[in-house]
Amino acid sequence: MSTPSGTKAQSIGPLSGGAIKDMLLAARLPIAIVVTLVLFGLVEPRVLSLGNFRNIAIQASYLSIFAMAQTMVILTRGFDLSLGYTVSLVSVVASMAMVAMGGGDASILYGVGAGVLIAALIGLANGLLIAGIGINPLVTTLGMANIVMALSSTISGGFPVTGLPRGLTAEFAQGSLMSIPIPIWFAGLVYTLLFLTLKATKFGRSLYIIGANPRAAVAAGIRTLPVLVLAYTLCAVLAALGALLLTARTGSGEPNLGGNLTLEAIAAAVVGGVRLSGGEGGVGAALLGALFITVLSNGMNLVQIDGYLQQICLGVIIIVSLIVNRDVARR
Amino acid sequence: MSSEQATMAPSGVIKPTEHRSSLLDRFLMQGGIVITFLIVAVVATALVEPRFLNRLNLINVMRNFALLLIPSLAQMLVMTAGGFDLSVGAVVAISSVVTAAVMLVGSGYFPDMEIAVILLSLVAAIGVGVLVGLTNAGLVASLSLSPFMVTLAMMSVLMGIALYFTQGIPIYGVAQSFITGVGRGQFLGLPIVLHVALIVLVACIVMQRFTALGRHIYAVGSDLRSARLSGVATGRTLAIAYVLAGILAALTGFLMTSRLGSGQSTIGGTLALETIAAAVIGGVSLRGGVGRAEHVALAALFLAVIANAMNLVQVDSKYQTLVLGAVLIVALAIDRLLLRKRQA
Amino acid sequence: MLEVTGFTKRFRGIAALDNVDFSLNEGEVHALLGENGAGKSTLINLIAGTFPWAEGVYRINGRTITSLTPQVAQEIGIAAVFQEFSLVPDLTVLENIFLGREQSGSLFLKRRQMRQAGTELLDGLGFNLPLDEKVAFLSRAQKQMVEIAKALRMRPKVLILDEPTASLTDGEAEKLFHAVALLKGRGVGIIYVSHRMSEIRNLSDRVTVLRGGKRIGTVVTSEISDEGLIEMMVGRPVEQLFPSIEHRPGAARLEVRNLTTQDHSVIDASFVARAGEVVGLAGLVGCGRSELCRAVFGLETIEAGTITVGDKTVARPSPASMLASKVCYFPADRGSEGLAMARSARENATMSSLDLPALSAGPLLKFWREREVIKAPLTDLALRPMAPERKVSAFSGGNQQKLMLARGLMRPFDVYLFDEPTVGIDVGAKVDVYNLIKSLVAAGASVVVSTSELPELINLASRVYVMHEGKVVAELGQGELTEAQILSHYFGGRA
Repeated sequence: MSTPSGTKAQSIGPLSGGAIKDMLLAARLPIAIVVTLVLFGLVEPRVLSLGNFRNIAIQASYLSIFAMAQTMVILTRGFDLSLGYTVSLVSVVASMAMVAMGGGDASILYGVGAGVLIAALIGLANGLLIAGIGINPLVTTLGMANIVMALSSTISGGFPVTGLPRGLTAEFAQGSLMSIPIPIWFAGLVYTLLFLTLKATKFGRSLYIIGANPRAAVAAGIRTLPVLVLAYTLCAVLAALGALLLTARTGSGEPNLGGNLTLEAIAAAVVGGVRLSGGEGGVGAALLGALFITVLSNGMNLVQIDGYLQQICLGVIIIVSLIVNRDVARR
Repeated sequence: MSSEQATMAPSGVIKPTEHRSSLLDRFLMQGGIVITFLIVAVVATALVEPRFLNRLNLINVMRNFALLLIPSLAQMLVMTAGGFDLSVGAVVAISSVVTAAVMLVGSGYFPDMEIAVILLSLVAAIGVGVLVGLTNAGLVASLSLSPFMVTLAMMSVLMGIALYFTQGIPIYGVAQSFITGVGRGQFLGLPIVLHVALIVLVACIVMQRFTALGRHIYAVGSDLRSARLSGVATGRTLAIAYVLAGILAALTGFLMTSRLGSGQSTIGGTLALETIAAAVIGGVSLRGGVGRAEHVALAALFLAVIANAMNLVQVDSKYQTLVLGAVLIVALAIDRLLLRKRQA
Repeated sequence: MLEVTGFTKRFRGIAALDNVDFSLNEGEVHALLGENGAGKSTLINLIAGTFPWAEGVYRINGRTITSLTPQVAQEIGIAAVFQEFSLVPDLTVLENIFLGREQSGSLFLKRRQMRQAGTELLDGLGFNLPLDEKVAFLSRAQKQMVEIAKALRMRPKVLILDEPTASLTDGEAEKLFHAVALLKGRGVGIIYVSHRMSEIRNLSDRVTVLRGGKRIGTVVTSEISDEGLIEMMVGRPVEQLFPSIEHRPGAARLEVRNLTTQDHSVIDASFVARAGEVVGLAGLVGCGRSELCRAVFGLETIEAGTITVGDKTVARPSPASMLASKVCYFPADRGSEGLAMARSARENATMSSLDLPALSAGPLLKFWREREVIKAPLTDLALRPMAPERKVSAFSGGNQQKLMLARGLMRPFDVYLFDEPTVGIDVGAKVDVYNLIKSLVAAGASVVVSTSELPELINLASRVYVMHEGKVVAELGQGELTEAQILSHYFGGRA
């Protein structure tokens, strides 16, 4: 029987095996998260403790901010390989600004201002090079990554910047509001804002259309240059927000803070199902992906798996999820 | 572009199909930008810092050039085939570790057969390169995953393996004759590694120009669908390109080990960037199908010269990374802007 | 020699080819006729091994074939020249001709031998091509010739030609016809796909007509009239296909004067489109009519000339400013430039109207009103199925086209530019498009249609501009709109 409805023509009834399979596939990430938790919990019961859940939630909130930032440019068929080193640079610059302004709690504002400003400049440069001149996003941000990395290690001399305001760590890392830790509030805030941006603004809609078909977007009268520049700037500014929160957690400006974050943020987005071909996916996917990666690394830490083996795992998981997502998209 | 232009009367009629191959065009096609860059870099360095022309310094430049050229040719092979290889540096690192480890273990068993052990370590390193190349190719060609993501993930995996087995500590105790004979050795007054690199270069040039494989790599990178419809075994061609790249990266790891005198899991960190820079400055298209080994060689030489110049005037090595990133972006920007001008 | 029976192929459950029989004799030219979407390209792709058939028997020289790839097809002597070329842009003409079939020693290419063979091949066909030029720099006609030469490198027994003259000039087409006759004399069987009646009549021995994926009939060419063939193809007399449009030309809505694009695909072109009429743009594929529409809409860089919309002269057109000036453009290739395939029907319908007050306030999107706003246009266009949240890629070709056209109905426009409005859609959808054009004109809009379908020009337009090599070479008015008249200007007025 051939129906004109297309893709669903093969499935027979509403509750057939195919439909259940579809449901399982749609919920594959939550299922994977639960299964991972249970498996690690069998080896190490502490994994399933309430305190550990709280830990996971806090850790995941940092990674999810970076993953959501990365998602904003991946949606446009882009990439930001400079994200991790931007985090390092922001941490160093913001810390130095705070120290320079006396290191009191009032200096936090200056730190935030300096960090956000430097990130915005990096994002602006990326956006202009990619959308204005038309250079490949991978190579642009790869080059930018090295520039930013060099800047953060020379500015800091390679050493952590210490003497940060006490209030920074006390409020933004250890503090909580309505008994929910502050980092989780921030992740939730970023998620809500980006979700609404993608759903309810012209900018958000334009991101999707440009990512799905840039030429069609131009022909439909969408001005791609400002949209893309804004996307890269937004990505960098969100990275700065994450960097500030991480700096609050470590209590010092760290030139090596973001070394692995580029890969982890991309991994989280890809594992969550954001399509590299652009135009499909959302910040919710990035959030789930970040949660999965955090659960995994938290579990591996608790059962004391070597950090280098975790790096291997991350690579394998990226490849596996690329294959799985490709097969899901083909259905 | 401007409004004044838009209202101007057309100045003479040009046939739409006429192909204008101007002097600028030819200059660009024949690697003009690279040659200019290179000459300017050499002359400027020699003027600012006469020590540059010292024989010892030049030999040093040649050695660095050779060790950049081989992985850059690897990158070129993959890029002309329409791919991208971020795992190049990681393959260099892991093959360096494997070289040193095999040599260490081998010389324990066969203390009198140094040359055989060195050859065995070379075979082992190249074996690793082949394996990585096959894996990359399998994922990219058979499963049609993004080459960028695959090699990024591969980089993470390989670095993880190399670091896990060494815990970041160099493996010492490689054969002394390996260090003096290969890494620091000279033949006809030039470093051995340079001879090796030049042999690889010539092989690449011959392969690109005079063999069916060379044509097929260009075809696959330029238009995969057309190549397949024309009867090119696209999967096999891609696999060969990735495997050759893996072999060249492994060879680099082997040579670097002999240069450094130890197997190190931390070398090759910026090599992905450096090789991509050499390839792009050498005119290799990011879209595939275009790029010549001899131009990549000129670009690698250019990068080796500026790195040396910065060392001579004692620029912090961290700034060298910065310059490299900036050079890459500027080279691409120039390329794009010239392309626009040419299309005009 | 070649015989297929009961061939069936489904895409996403929809039968693109339904139980079709086809046969080809040695030394025969067998024409394949049908509308876009009738199944012609599916049939020739199955014969050439591009993709597998679902049901049916494939026999060649008495041998039954169970599966086929393009490579195997070439080896058993089946070569195809598709409209979509299989040339590699970064290789030269010579390299392309032998791509995948290089003559090579154990290690190195036999370059001199291939050069000689290539020269002989091209000379034998009478094609004059620069052997060492990159294919990327060739004109479409030259590429077509390379593609034909490449198909003949294996000395095939069956040659498939898919609209080979769509972009050739008169003289070039003559060379092709000569080559076809030559090959026929050598006993090669040729499957010839074309729209042009005169070619089918002059070249072919038999004609098979397809419609809606089914075989309507196979006839000896000399035993049927042109009208008979068209009726077989369309399934109804031509008069019922096109609505009668009343043209009431009013004020000039769009006036283009001496327009030259930066890449010289359009040179010194002028035309005017008035309210209440349909203006046709005719010419070969690649003659510049598509680029002219694109340039007007701001998608090509303009070197010289003026564009006047209403009474305002637009100095630097951009899609956004042209939309604001009430000019709407529908691209020829809905896949590459028209639609965001991965997004929903709803988002595609509204994508050029996001700045309407009904849909947005400042930077904010009134996404909750979207469904309501698109309801009327999608109902008018009879979108099937009416599923605004479904991905565009899951709709049929005709309905994808409707989704693109829906953009033009989101708000009133004065000028509509249609580039190849009926490519790849079935007859029913075509009639819908024609009726849409009729209603737009009736409402007083100005419609410009750029098309390679002569019947569309003849039956829809009140005036037709013919283009050749980037220039407007003729303007034909009422009474001059016949196939012969229009075609006579296709080659620069030399005929």
